[in-house]
Amino acid sequence: MIRLTIDGIEVELEEPVTVLEAARKVGIKIPTLCWFEGLPPFGGCRLCLVKVEKLPKLQTACTLMSADGMVVETENPEIRAARRAMLEFLLINHPLDCPYCDKAGECELQDLVAKYGPEAGRFAEGKRRHPESFDDPIIVRNMERCVLCTRCVRVCEDLQGAYAITVTGRGAHSFVEPFSGGRYDCEYCGNCLTVCPVGAIMSRLHLHSYRPWFVQKEAETVCSYCGVGCRMVVQVRENSIIRTIPRFGLGVNDGLLCVRGRFGYDYIEQKERLRTAFIRKDGELRPVSIEEAIEYTAKKLLQIKDTNGPETIGAIASGRCSNEDNYMLQRLMRFFIGSNNIDSSARLYYIPIVQYLERIFGQGVTANLMPGIGRSDGVVVVGGDPTRINPVLGLQIRACHRNGGKVVVFGPSGGLKRFVPYELRPRDDEALLVAVLKALIEKKGMPGENKNLEERLKEIEVETHDVLREASIEEPLFDTLVGDLLGLQNPVVVVGPEVLQAERPSRVLFLVAGIVYLLGARVFVMSDRPNYQGLMDMGCLPDMLPGERPIELETFRHKVESVMGRPVPDKAGMNLFQMLEMAKEGNLKALYVMGDNLYYHMPDAEEALQSIDFLVVQDIFMTETAERADVVLPAAGWTEKEGTFTNLERRLQRFEKSRTPLGCMEDWRLLAELMAHMGDERPPRTVAEIWDELVQVSPLHIGINPREIGPEGMIYPYHGEPLRGVEGEFDVEALKGPYGGGPEGLRLILDRPLYHSGSQSRRSRALRSLQDSPVLCLSPEDARDLGLEDADMVRVTSSKGMLKVKVAISEDVASGTARLSNTFSEVHFSRLVGIRQDPVTTGGVFTDNLVKIEKLPSEGSEEVME
Amino acid sequence: MEAFLREVQEVVKRYPQKRAAILPALYLAEQRFGWLSQEAYEAVAEALNMPKATVKGVATFYSMYRKAPMGRNLIQLCTNVACMVMGAETLLQLLERRYGLRPGGTTEDGRFSLVVMECIGACDRAPAMLVNKDFHPNLNENNIIEILEGYS
Ligand code: SF4
Ligand code: SF4
Ligand code: SF4
Ligand code: FES
Ligand code: FES
Repeated sequence: MIRLTIDGIEVELEEPVTVLEAARKVGIKIPTLCWFEGLPPFGGCRLCLVKVEKLPKLQTACTLMSADGMVVETENPEIRAARRAMLEFLLINHPLDCPYCDKAGECELQDLVAKYGPEAGRFAEGKRRHPESFDDPIIVRNMERCVLCTRCVRVCEDLQGAYAITVTGRGAHSFVEPFSGGRYDCEYCGNCLTVCPVGAIMSRLHLHSYRPWFVQKEAETVCSYCGVGCRMVVQVRENSIIRTIPRFGLGVNDGLLCVRGRFGYDYIEQKERLRTAFIRKDGELRPVSIEEAIEYTAKKLLQIKDTNGPETIGAIASGRCSNEDNYMLQRLMRFFIGSNNIDSSARLYYIPIVQYLERIFGQGVTANLMPGIGRSDGVVVVGGDPTRINPVLGLQIRACHRNGGKVVVFGPSGGLKRFVPYELRPRDDEALLVAVLKALIEKKGMPGENKNLEERLKEIEVETHDVLREASIEEPLFDTLVGDLLGLQNPVVVVGPEVLQAERPSRVLFLVAGIVYLLGARVFVMSDRPNYQGLMDMGCLPDMLPGERPIELETFRHKVESVMGRPVPDKAGMNLFQMLEMAKEGNLKALYVMGDNLYYHMPDAEEALQSIDFLVVQDIFMTETAERADVVLPAAGWTEKEGTFTNLERRLQRFEKSRTPLGCMEDWRLLAELMAHMGDERPPRTVAEIWDELVQVSPLHIGINPREIGPEGMIYPYHGEPLRGVEGEFDVEALKGPYGGGPEGLRLILDRPLYHSGSQSRRSRALRSLQDSPVLCLSPEDARDLGLEDADMVRVTSSKGMLKVKVAISEDVASGTARLSNTFSEVHFSRLVGIRQDPVTTGGVFTDNLVKIEKLPSEGSEEVME
Repeated sequence: MEAFLREVQEVVKRYPQKRAAILPALYLAEQRFGWLSQEAYEAVAEALNMPKATVKGVATFYSMYRKAPMGRNLIQLCTNVACMVMGAETLLQLLERRYGLRPGGTTEDGRFSLVVMECIGACDRAPAMLVNKDFHPNLNENNIIEILEGYS
């Protein structure tokens, strides 16, 4: 126990902390400038000076550890004079261009000088000059204003782990810059601009367009880009977003954001937003009122239902829409159409991975808390780069490394390069996984907890030697890897979408599950949409009702029927693949697509969509899918509605509405209106009313009042403790082997890049300023073999088609693969490949993706389709 | 590049950790690239497995690294008191006449760069200069040209 006195107040400490923190504990706020919560102390600005009895000189409270018996004074004339003197030094070079500086009003330097002075400086010589740098498209640097607190450098190094900026030069001549001296070319998380106390690093997106006191409205919200679910505050003026800011100490992201959350918000205000409904008349989409479109849709759907039967109608839910939107869509399908044909693009990987793991380990197995990753002693990553798919989750993995944990990545380490002890680039992932699993079984023995799983694990018969040769991994490296894994006490496994891109996806997933089991690891599944988990929980699944209760359970069906007063269709519906197959055969007559650019991201969807008699698309933009619809309904987007998302750790988070939707309507409200036209006497007309119904229908959500969800969200119903031990049945293909011998040649893989997110981000000017055109990413080895250099134009040919695109060479690409994202309208991935549904996991596996790449002489990229 | 990496690896052996070798590695890079260009920083970063921004930050902290393009040979001529008294000023004029070389400048053919120094600790043998790492004392208008002609 440490006892000290600060300003006459007795402070008792269990653990030694700095004097600054000790003072904060008793409510005494010592001024600071270079100190920042969560960053290592720096002790550079000397504004936190305090007087400590028996010490001759003033001390910096942010670096001084408290000791028993200390007597500290935090304000007296001597201290104030010292602080004033420090500020006078800073003002020697500070330009004092406050009237022109965006930071004025929330500038820490301004506030400190207002409090301590000096009222005028005595330094008559000239100030240092650094013209404002506009070299970067989204970050403006004004180094005349920099007070050299190094907060930006420390956040970039210690929290972001990007090491992109540095203090260059020495003494009064130093300033902060990115390596290039111009463009940042970094991860563009913008966390440096959150921590800059002055106007030295600022976002260019709102430069000179606001003053802090212009903000008319602040609303708590959740990022609309990925399944991490970062909390942020949107600041709004005149119905327009000024900026988004995160808050430290809040949410999974604790003050941090990634580039998409920080800068990508502008998509929502683009002028191409849908502001009216459309109905196709004489082959063309003609603008009509929303009411007219809804009436027409209701009439058509009822007609098709009567003529062809409810099972000829399907719906696609959306990982970008809220829980409420998704709940209402399945409500429409089940109770007003009478069909369980509802699924979503989460079918491609998220649903199959989560459900497969749940079948092995029990429901809620992925309900683990993200900060636990940083505190674990090791992280195993397989199936994708978390620093790109779920960037802020990626930061937790970097934090694990910083705290001394081991990070192991199967495949190229990508954004974790600096954080792994060795690269594992097996020629065949599966072969390495099976070798590792076998070694773990041998060295650790079976834990004896999960009989089902262990039965299957025993079937594996491989010779480590042989599979390692298939994987082309050297034995010493393999031994180190196994040794590292065996040493882990509380590890985490992070699983990404690419685990399913194999000939036998269930086998890869099973091997991963086996490793999870033997390591006793907590598991996380990456999600590149904000609400994939939510749409599952809301029952947007062909075989599950809200709360993920199987439709075949009669008792459960009855319970829902008694709440709804309407029958639940008792036959499981069609999933995404089956619906598209039905459509091609002419058996799907109507499809209702909410917030999903199905045509664009599903290979081979064109024929299916063309064969559907009545296609309704509800979206915020005229997407490629909407262009093919018979009715287009304009939906309100992010910030324009209230609601909830459920992130990948199953944290239910509420977001507020901060802007008025113009010419459009919330998805759930469009659906409520539609149901009102289809015989619903009283559809829910507010988010609260949706929840009143939902909590009765879904056992997962019993007792939740969405109004009571605080800024930390709500972890339900598992409270971060997965329900293990309710294993079910699961299948796995060809477990015995043989392993290895994957396909030869160059395969095209779907890229999920950092700066973009499906076709939503192509509407963000900010994100486009970072990457404005598609690139084909190739490994250095393959590029060398093909005689290609960075930025060369190539022609990519598969059996499905051909396109021209620019090459980007990157070490983050595994050799034998070429990566292309689904983002830009001109060139996109799904045009070049096919897709099949894996019968065991039900996920999507890309096919026809062997490609030929040839160098082209010319510039420009355009698509040439056969 | 390969050769440079090998040189750095040699130096690294003398230190407990890779990154501790950053200062000598920067000197090696300076010799290899002529000056600390972005390319040179990247090479050092790669060799020491350090972030390139950090390498640049360290290099710019020190004033004696060459942070601007330099000639193949760097002349560091002292013009402080003792050397000045012993004729350094005349030598400066000579360098300008003969090579068109001014303090802080580089010859057009990239052969020499000139930097004037504040006492290189050779006052007893003034005037003096360093060419690259070689020390040349007791200079006069004749021998300085002779010496410099030995550097191509
Ligand atoms: S935007 Fe992020 S990665 Fe880039 S310099 Fe700032 S903190 Fe570092
Ligand atoms: S740019 Fe801002 S955060 Fe970075 S050192 Fe300067 S004042 Fe501090
Ligand atoms: S990590 Fe995901 S949720 Fe967080 S800011 Fe980035 S895109 Fe948004
Ligand atoms: S806050 Fe303590 S020295 Fe800057
Ligand atoms: S003055 Fe020239 S060496 Fe000392």
